[in-house]
Order: sequence, then C-alpha cells, then structure tokens
Amino acid sequence: MTEELQLIDAAKAGSAKAFADLVLRYQDRLLRFLLTRCASYADAEDALQDTLINAYRYLHSYDPRWRFSTWLYRIAIRNAQKIRSQNVIELDDLSDAESDPLQQCIAASETENLWLCARRLLNDDVFAAMWLRYTEDMSVNDISKALDRSVSWTKVNLLRARRALDADMNSNKQENEAYG
Amino acid sequence: MDKLAKQLRADAECIDVAVSDELEQRILASLHGVSPRAETSLDTPARLGQRSARFWWTSSLTGIAAAALIIVIINSQSQQPGIVVPGDMPTMSHVALVDNMPVIDWKTETAMLTSPLREELEKLQSDIKKAEKKVKQDIGL
Repeated sequence: MTEELQLIDAAKAGSAKAFADLVLRYQDRLLRFLLTRCASYADAEDALQDTLINAYRYLHSYDPRWRFSTWLYRIAIRNAQKIRSQNVIELDDLSDAESDPLQQCIAASETENLWLCARRLLNDDVFAAMWLRYTEDMSVNDISKALDRSVSWTKVNLLRARRALDADMNSNKQENEAYG
Repeated sequence: MDKLAKQLRADAECIDVAVSDELEQRILASLHGVSPRAETSLDTPARLGQRSARFWWTSSLTGIAAAALIIVIINSQSQQPGIVVPGDMPTMSHVALVDNMPVIDWKTETAMLTSPLREELEKLQSDIKKAEKKVKQDIGL
C-alpha cells in the first residue's frame, strides 16, 4: 500500500492530520489551477478551501480506482464553477493585468505565457483538459473523469487545443522574426 | 516530450503561486471544524446503482401485486349471483333486426322518377303522327 493510500485510510477513519498531510502535496498545484479559473486571487483561495473541506467531508465516497488527484481536481472544478456563478464575472472580461489574478502571478517576459494564450483561445473545459494533461500528467481517461466528459471528447479537444496553440505560437514567432 | 508540452510545463511553473501560511492555517482550522460524513449517507455511483435496482424491483413487484389483486376482484365479482355479466345479456337476433327495418317501395320511386320522360315521349310520338298526317294530305295520298 502506498503512503498516499495509508493517509487516505487514516483520514477516512477521521484523522484530520492525515488529511492535512495528504492535501499538503496538492494545495499549491490546486491553487495554481484554480487561479486560472477564478476571477480573483481571493476567489481562488476560497475555492481551494472549499475544495479541501468538501474532499475531507466526502472522503468516504472516494473510489481508490481513481487517482486521488483526479478526484481532487474534479471537486476543485465544481467549486470554481460555483464561485464563478455566484460572482457572475466572466474570465473573458479580465483583459487587463490589474484585475486578472493569473497575469499578476506571471512575471513579465518577452514572450506571452502559453497558459494566458491558452485561456484566450480555449474554452474553460478545454483549457482545464490541457492543464491536467500537461501540468499534472493525467491520462485521457483521468481527464475525462475529472471533467465529467467522454474520453472521445477529451481526445478530440486536446488535439484541437494543441493545434490552436501551435498555430498561435507559430504566428507569434513569425511576427517576432518580421519585426527583427 | 514535444516542444509544446515542454513549453506548457515551463510556463505553468512560471505562475508564481504558493499557499500562504495564513491560508494554510485557515484551511487547517476549517478542517478541524469539519467531520467526515457517515458512510451511510453517501451517494456513490455503486450505491446509487444498488438503490435504483432496488427501486426497480420494488416497483415491479408492486405492479404485479396490483394486477393480481384486480384480477382476483373481477373474478370474485363475476361469481356473485344477481350481477349480469356480458355473456348473459339478451341479444337481438339478426332476423329480427332486418324485419323491423322500414321497407322502401322501390317501384313507386322508379315510376315517380320516369313519369316526366314518359310524358315527353308520348308528346313527341303524337307530334310525329300529326306531321305524318299533314305530309300525306299534302301529297294527296
């Protein structure tokens, strides 16, 4: 049995400390992900807190056949949606760096951060699929479970998203070369 | 790993985010204030499946029992005296029905329909006879 499963079992038995140790490995990654989906840093923090509390509360329903991270991300996605629906602010409206929490957390550089570009080009679910694939190394099956989508939807949209990002990267590169 | 995947991974690491101590304390405090829900109240897919199967069986058995009860009630009522069942009802014979039907006098109707034509024919025939007589007189026969 892995250490993670031992912690899960202990947390299921009611040990909050075991659960705290468990989520300690995920909290930074989850916050980073939630930041891409929330309208403000405070909202992302609230979503993280709700996610961890809900995960602890419903830990008995966790199925060990799933990766723990998949299950956590699924809860996080739902909580972020809930907070966004309460605020009624679309991420498309966050065009200026002052109000966009993600842009605030990215150091200024010559080239645009690909995740900002991805958020501009892709819809929320496709963006999340790309995030889970390329930052969390999740399999297509796990991504489809986390997003509550079909495997074929996930495959097709990952491919389309890659093409869209590739095209954008190439056009930016050509522009940079043209301007010297 | 391809170029895009490497770039995406590198750019994700550029997002400078960490859970602050304050937030961590807040989360830990709220975790201590929460207790995991009892396993009896969970709604896992497996349990939901079991519940739906149980619901299906219960509704099927209830339906069968209701149908059996209706059949029993109908049978018991048909065996009671004084109640007329459809099989015992007096029926009217086919012949009686035909006899009671009003008879149409088809001959009268035919005569009524053909009499104007007959009159016209007779008039035409008399006209022909008159014309023949006149022609014979003219010729001198």
